[in-house]
Amino acid sequence: MRRPGPYRQIATQVLLALVALFVLLPIWGMLRLAFDAALKGAPLTFRFWPETFSLVAFQRAWDTPSQSLSFLGLLRNSLVIAGGAALISVALGASMAYAFARFRFPGRRAGLLGLLLGVLLPQVAIMTPLYILLTMLGIRASRLGLMVVYTAFAMPFCIWNMRASFQAVPNELEEAAFLEGATPLVAFWRITLRLALPSIAVAALMAFLVGYTEFAIGWLFVESGDNVTLAMAVSGMMGVSVPWSNLSALAVLMSLPVVFVFLLLQRYLMRGLLVGQIDE
Amino acid sequence: MIRDQCVSAVGARWLRILAILAVATIALGLRLRAVDLLPVDYDEDDYLRAGQQYADAIRAGDWAALTELNYREEHPPLAKLAYGLALLALPPVDEIPDRPTTAGPAGSLPEPHLLVARLIAAVAGTLEVLALGLVSPLAGLLLGIHTFTIKYTSQVMLEALPALTSTVAVLAYARSKRRWNGWLILSAAALGLTAASKYLYGIAGVAILVHWLWETLPEQRRPTALARWLAPVLLWGLLALAVFAIANPFLWPAPIERLRASILFHGEYTQSETVQQANLPLWQPLVWLFQSVPWHPGVFVVALDALIALLAVLGLKPLWQRDRLYVLWLAVGLGFLFLWPTKWPQYILVLTVPLALAAATGLQARIWDPFCRWFGHIRAHRLRRPELRDLLRPATRGAILRVVPWLLPGAVVLTLITFYPLIYQGGMALTDFNAVSIKDGVNGGIWREVREGLSGQTEPVEIDIFSFGRSSAKEVRYAGFGPLLQFFTGVGAGLLVFEILWTVLSVGLQTALGVGVAWLLHQRGVRFRGWWRTIYILPWAIPEFVGALVWMQIFDPRYGWFFLGTSFPDTPGYPLAQQLSSWQQDPTAGLIVLLMAGTWLGFPLIMLAASAGLKMIPHDVYDAAAIDGAGGWQQFRAITWPLLLPLLAPALIIRGIFAFNQFYLFYVLNPPWPLITLASLSFYVFGETGKYAVSAVINLFTVVLLVLFLLWFNRLSRAGEGVTYA
Repeated sequence: MRRPGPYRQIATQVLLALVALFVLLPIWGMLRLAFDAALKGAPLTFRFWPETFSLVAFQRAWDTPSQSLSFLGLLRNSLVIAGGAALISVALGASMAYAFARFRFPGRRAGLLGLLLGVLLPQVAIMTPLYILLTMLGIRASRLGLMVVYTAFAMPFCIWNMRASFQAVPNELEEAAFLEGATPLVAFWRITLRLALPSIAVAALMAFLVGYTEFAIGWLFVESGDNVTLAMAVSGMMGVSVPWSNLSALAVLMSLPVVFVFLLLQRYLMRGLLVGQIDE
Repeated sequence: MIRDQCVSAVGARWLRILAILAVATIALGLRLRAVDLLPVDYDEDDYLRAGQQYADAIRAGDWAALTELNYREEHPPLAKLAYGLALLALPPVDEIPDRPTTAGPAGSLPEPHLLVARLIAAVAGTLEVLALGLVSPLAGLLLGIHTFTIKYTSQVMLEALPALTSTVAVLAYARSKRRWNGWLILSAAALGLTAASKYLYGIAGVAILVHWLWETLPEQRRPTALARWLAPVLLWGLLALAVFAIANPFLWPAPIERLRASILFHGEYTQSETVQQANLPLWQPLVWLFQSVPWHPGVFVVALDALIALLAVLGLKPLWQRDRLYVLWLAVGLGFLFLWPTKWPQYILVLTVPLALAAATGLQARIWDPFCRWFGHIRAHRLRRPELRDLLRPATRGAILRVVPWLLPGAVVLTLITFYPLIYQGGMALTDFNAVSIKDGVNGGIWREVREGLSGQTEPVEIDIFSFGRSSAKEVRYAGFGPLLQFFTGVGAGLLVFEILWTVLSVGLQTALGVGVAWLLHQRGVRFRGWWRTIYILPWAIPEFVGALVWMQIFDPRYGWFFLGTSFPDTPGYPLAQQLSSWQQDPTAGLIVLLMAGTWLGFPLIMLAASAGLKMIPHDVYDAAAIDGAGGWQQFRAITWPLLLPLLAPALIIRGIFAFNQFYLFYVLNPPWPLITLASLSFYVFGETGKYAVSAVINLFTVVLLVLFLLWFNRLSRAGEGVTYA
């Protein structure tokens, strides 16, 4: 490939700018609503800039986003429920992921396919039985119940990703440890887990996001306003006569931390994209 | 061809003739049955009336009237004339009353006139099968049992005759090898007759033209070469045109005017209320192709249309390699049917012949041949299956014992919260469990009913999964496999076609944009690379439902800023806005909005994967290509894409599954029926109607599809194991 001349550079930049426009314009549409204080309900005229620029909508989203909880209360619910789900997925799934990455045993391939089926399942496919099981256990409408539901959604995916992380750690390091007399458990704990930690963190982040962004099934399970998560609160404002600026502000507030983390972790997240083959 | 060697040449020939005769007999039998059983349909009264008028004129010796008569003159007269000739032998009856085209099916039509006219159609339909059977008996059989083809060639419609002549035109053209022999003349004549029966079937002629011009494309662009290239095609076309004019007596008095009027009619008809109200999506022809005739239970002996369409998809590639004429025919036909706004089911008859050919090829190349190879393989080396004893060998046992503690925690949790629910879902699908019987269900009613039902202690209750009402019984009841079967057979091709279409189109667009952007960023010396990439990642980082909300704020029909900003005729984008504003009712516009949002949400992931992949392709490959003089696009086609695709595969699969299960986008945007994924449908059935068992049935169907995908993927990745790249 040759270095592009100025015309080619300009053409490339123009094309890139067009795509950027396609990406940014919709986002700006939401931001401009969030920053508009004059909006009483739905926007009635087209505007590119807010009519009166203010942070009132954010203020309202912060203080009274839902009937019973403040923004921080909602955020706490989200963190507890989604974070708990991610933690359970990683803690209880790690050893299984390691087994699939390192051991050869009969039924391994079938197990992998089963795991992959779990990854592919739409969330709604196991929703009803979980509803019944958790009702039987009496924890359906609680935060713990929701945590279990989100664990069920996130865990196969999380294990699948962790397996890839473990596989990316070179085998030779472990073999060296075995020569020193280490047991598999020690080799796992001391070497592979440590080295795979960044990608495991990414897997955990993905698992966390499943619970952080889910709302439809959450609304079916939760009964008390105290257990509502942030995503549920945002979705609860859709389609009702809430000013669009409030809804937009809350949605922006909810998305900001995630966007921030994604931009920060770009490099790590990219690494996870090239794995996923069923067998090496 | 191995089979041919086994059977002696003479025997094979007789076998083939027998097969063709059998196919024709089956086709005739099925059509006669349909002639007998089908109720009177739309338009049958019109064409019977047109036939009556011709018969009366001929009987009166008024030959001049033939040039003035053409009831329903938007269609050329030949097929109607054929009905008239058939009615000549029958005693005349009162003329069938003139009714508007939009009128429903006639209450009753004179007999045996209806029967005789239908028989003529059925004979033409059988001849069509016979013509195809001569080329490929298997394809003939598939066309013979295709229910839509049977229906519309067994009623007094205009389809049977042009379907026959267009088939003859293409097959004769293929036989002629483009040399000026009788076959080529026949194909031109048949095409002329086709156009004189119904314009739509002229698509076969377009396919011939495309094929002919393509095959003989001259390498030099000199005028003489071009003239030599175009002349025979032109001559052939003129011949067809002449036959069309001769076979169309209605045109004789005022050719240009009447031709114009009849063609203009169809353009206006597409804007008529009838067509607008039907509100069928752009891809409706696919929906027709992927289902059997849904309206006349008991008329058709077998209903395998969906299977034939599926086989045709499998057969496209081998058929293209063998003879692309038929694939072109299929493509031209499908392309036209997509673009033409009128979407009546009978239109698909213009392409059922190439469809049947593709299906026959698919059956042979993708199913029969692999099966034979596999069978031969088994016979050659007895397959060694791992035996139970092997599993219990000390070494294996050791491996299992070593791995179990590692698997245990994850396996227990996964079984409890993922796989047991899945099995439970299977149990629920066998009952009528719903919101009324929830208490019983929670207290173990489901397994009780399934146990008793499967052991034959309770009789299954009948439930209709498509009705909105639900049973009022407070206890769960066993429903057996009825609901499952009902869903599998009656799921509505519309739903499945959309599901597949949505997955393919949305992943396709994401890939095009994602790979394109990655390719642009990958150029040497591009400025601001990091900034652009950071911007493009945003939709990926934003939670899906917030992204969907962003698009809802654009496309909300009343308050969306796209429509607010283009509400005046002088604003740019006004025509587009007019087209899109009804997207919550119009499925085609709905799909466009969904695709825009879906592409926006999904392309960043593909872009990232493609960026990472592009970095792994060594630069010297390009340098070598540049020396060979390959341009940018050629480089991409020949080097980048083939090397990139395997690296991209995981991301494509992730996005594909994601699109297949997409839920939040549909939840927030709420597009019109049938724009809905199985997952969203299941959610609505659960939440809105409270029919938990039906929701379970839908989920089970989804799981079956996913398992099929998984098995296919498993084979794919195994095949990829031996391949190394660069």
